[in-house]
Amino acid sequence: MEYPILENQRVSGNYFLLRLDVTGTAKLPMPGQFYNVRCGETRDPLLRRPFSMHRLVRGRGSAHLEILYQVTGKGTEWLSRQKSGEYLDTIGPFGNGFIIEQSPANAVLAARGIGIAPLYAVGEALHGKEGATKVFVLLGARVKERLFYEEQFRRIGEVFPYTDDGSRGFRGTAPELLVDLLERSRLPEDFSLYACGPTDMLRELSHTAERFGFAGQVALEGHMGCGFGACLSCACPLKPEMIKRNKQWQKPALQWSEDGSRVYSLICKDGPVYDIREVDWDEWAA
Amino acid sequence: MNGPPDTSVVIGTMKLKTPVMPASGTFGYGQEYSEFIDLNRLGAIVVKTITLKPRVGSYPHRSTEVASGFLANIGLQNVGVERFIEDKLPYFEDIDAPLIVSIGGQSVEEFVKLADILNRQQRVDALELNISCPNVEKGGMHFGMDLEVTENLVKRVRNVTEKTVIVKLTPLVMDIRPFAEICQLCGADGVSLINALVGMAIDIRTRRSKLGRNITGGLAGPAIKPFSLYLVWQACKTVDIPVIGIGGISSAEDAIEFLIAGASAIEVGTWNLVNPAGMVEIIEGIEAYMAQNKIKALSDLIGTLS
Repeated sequence: MEYPILENQRVSGNYFLLRLDVTGTAKLPMPGQFYNVRCGETRDPLLRRPFSMHRLVRGRGSAHLEILYQVTGKGTEWLSRQKSGEYLDTIGPFGNGFIIEQSPANAVLAARGIGIAPLYAVGEALHGKEGATKVFVLLGARVKERLFYEEQFRRIGEVFPYTDDGSRGFRGTAPELLVDLLERSRLPEDFSLYACGPTDMLRELSHTAERFGFAGQVALEGHMGCGFGACLSCACPLKPEMIKRNKQWQKPALQWSEDGSRVYSLICKDGPVYDIREVDWDEWAA
Repeated sequence: MNGPPDTSVVIGTMKLKTPVMPASGTFGYGQEYSEFIDLNRLGAIVVKTITLKPRVGSYPHRSTEVASGFLANIGLQNVGVERFIEDKLPYFEDIDAPLIVSIGGQSVEEFVKLADILNRQQRVDALELNISCPNVEKGGMHFGMDLEVTENLVKRVRNVTEKTVIVKLTPLVMDIRPFAEICQLCGADGVSLINALVGMAIDIRTRRSKLGRNITGGLAGPAIKPFSLYLVWQACKTVDIPVIGIGGISSAEDAIEFLIAGASAIEVGTWNLVNPAGMVEIIEGIEAYMAQNKIKALSDLIGTLS
């Protein structure tokens, strides 16, 4: 599909916000789903770049898709130069979105860097839910200059910033901050975690979830060839005994070893959102 | 000129209405593309390499992009022949395009067994013998780099199947011509080339391969096209059986170059991942080129390098 650009602006540092007009499209995205966007007109860069849905803004008869992205290479650099009125070759939405839990009612969002991109829509969905959903946001970066979106997140919940050097908020990582908050009883007893960020952070959060016994979902990022299950590039190992399948997460692309001891999923078809317990973190990070 | 140009081509027992088909490993089991493309537009469908047993494939971090290229190590992840027949093959009952099944094995015996099993499947029109995968330890390109193994393998597969047999060759040999020749001598109906080259990419920050523990990967995409075109041209001068050109094709112009060099048909690989409807554009582009240049039949274009 060719979607017109409504807006494509720097929001902070090398982070940009892209707004596409997806009005009239048959499939609208769920939080956690992604699009695969052609980032160039030549053969270099070659492959599409996957971007998670950041927000879907629906008006009367209109639908606007927001993508929050970080310029990290020649594809995203090209994207950052595109102007409103131009069209982007975009396919999607693909993959499994977050399951917005009915209970427990409370939610902790844990993000670092561009990891905030898919989580804002989760926060909005939870915030708009009926009942007493409380949203807590662990928002982090390396240093305070890299921290952004704090104000936006304050609209949907209580924000706890953190930085590696302590230049803003808690000094340390998201898992360390979460443990600190839990030990000081700053969070409600029952909550569900939604996280996106670097692998080390997510792996550590999986240990925290195990230790304190809370449920969680993570959005993973992986190198993709196609985004629609053909090239089998974005394989992510899962723990065979922990696989979570339900109506929303059908996981059609699982590939088991002959003896059933190993199983690989595809991030594009079976993810990018997973239950925090089902990912084989050690194998994924190795 | 009266009517549209005749783009059909015959390979073995198959009549392809257009010389354009996907390269194995970039097209899944076909169904993955059904939302983007009408599979019946294609000359044939070529599915992901099937092995005797299911394979989980390579370690994570299987791919990365390089300049105009795709570096990937999938390690022949596939559902295995049993599940392929049960779960994947029925989908093709409603599709008219010929079906080419790529097969791979760790031994000559495994290739023969697979050929025998698939010979009994009516919906399968042809076998493409993948003796050229750069990313498996046994039975990959090491088979295709050895003339004697290639000879033995093609002969024995030929003996157990009446299906069209195409042998997919590796570029990683000193001279590709004897390999194409031996395939012809042993009764292959065609050769397809090239499979991926081998490549590496290193993250200088971590000093690790960008493909993690896999270290190396198959290099494909537009970056390899001049090289693949050269090898296809060489093979076409050597054998009389159809040569299927593969390697970096991403436009009708690219495809036409291969046809002029002598290829009877072409396979599109990496480009399908970028543009899942790209093959239709290539098909239409070839037709437009033929019409513009008053070429009535594909045979009047193939091998016309002056």
